[in-house]
Amino acid sequence: MSPSFKAGAREGFRVCLPVSVGLVPWALVTGLAMVSAGFTPVQAMGMSFIVFGATAQLGTLPLIVIGAPWWLILATALVVNLRFLIFSAALAGPLAGGTLLQRWLCGYLLTDGVFATCLERLRSDADPAWRLGYYLAPSLWCALVWQSSTLTGVLAAGAIPRGWSLEFMASIALLVLLVPMARVRPMLVAMLTGGVLSVLLRGLPLRLGVMVAIVAGIAAGFATEHLQKKAEAR
Amino acid sequence: MNYDASLWLTFILIGLATLLPRSSFIVLGQRASLPEAVQKALRYAPAAALAAIVVPDVVLVNGAPDVFNPKLGAAIAAVLAVSLSRNPWLPFIAGMAVLWGLR
Repeated sequence: MSPSFKAGAREGFRVCLPVSVGLVPWALVTGLAMVSAGFTPVQAMGMSFIVFGATAQLGTLPLIVIGAPWWLILATALVVNLRFLIFSAALAGPLAGGTLLQRWLCGYLLTDGVFATCLERLRSDADPAWRLGYYLAPSLWCALVWQSSTLTGVLAAGAIPRGWSLEFMASIALLVLLVPMARVRPMLVAMLTGGVLSVLLRGLPLRLGVMVAIVAGIAAGFATEHLQKKAEAR
Repeated sequence: MNYDASLWLTFILIGLATLLPRSSFIVLGQRASLPEAVQKALRYAPAAALAAIVVPDVVLVNGAPDVFNPKLGAAIAAVLAVSLSRNPWLPFIAGMAVLWGLR
């Protein structure tokens, strides 16, 4: 490890410490939700390490519980993860100095919090080794906080009676993600379209209604953005 | 509820659907890039997908919409808690309290 990697690592750790604290309630809830879905502790921690993504885990849990077809689960996970394509595109330049293995690790560890906190300095610092340390150290730290808090949630869930409906915590967690997004008008339109259509089309075979609702929601958000731009230009 | 070994296959599918978008451009490097219009449209994907999953969860009772069910009350309490406070625990406390209170 070069001195500049270490310097970057220290700085990245320092700026991301608050973000990592914010992960704790999330990870606890994700752990509780997986056990409430009927997973054993081993299955729950297996999912946590294989997927390492709260949105994909919480989003697919209700589908796994109702025994939805594998392709719907796969498609849903892909759709909620599409944002990572954009994050990954933004990080490609700053992390280009890493080896192939390091870059796969960077990809696996990519989280919203570290991305949002670190992107600016990652784009402006000229030293590739410093940038790699500045990204990898807080990402590894967040993964450690995440997995240990998830494990705490998984173990705690066993002590809680089923009648408490703790699986509803997963729905609350998804709502907590949605609320800040809803502050932007086109995003709110995408949400309302997706949510309402998903209820209205619940009768479609193979649960195709969910897919149709998602695609329509994306289109509605995109269209609203265009209409807003046109109105502003006038 | 019990799951068979196919649950692990499901985890691997979800894992790939998470790892591949995350690693895509970081691993490919600058050899590839994403068109501007695609980037814009993709921003709406998580919002549309999460809403499509959570709204039926909160609104439907035994497959039919019910606007007076405890889950909807709990969801409203959670949304209010996120909007009015920065405390990360409050939405969960408020939501579960209302859920238990209304039942």
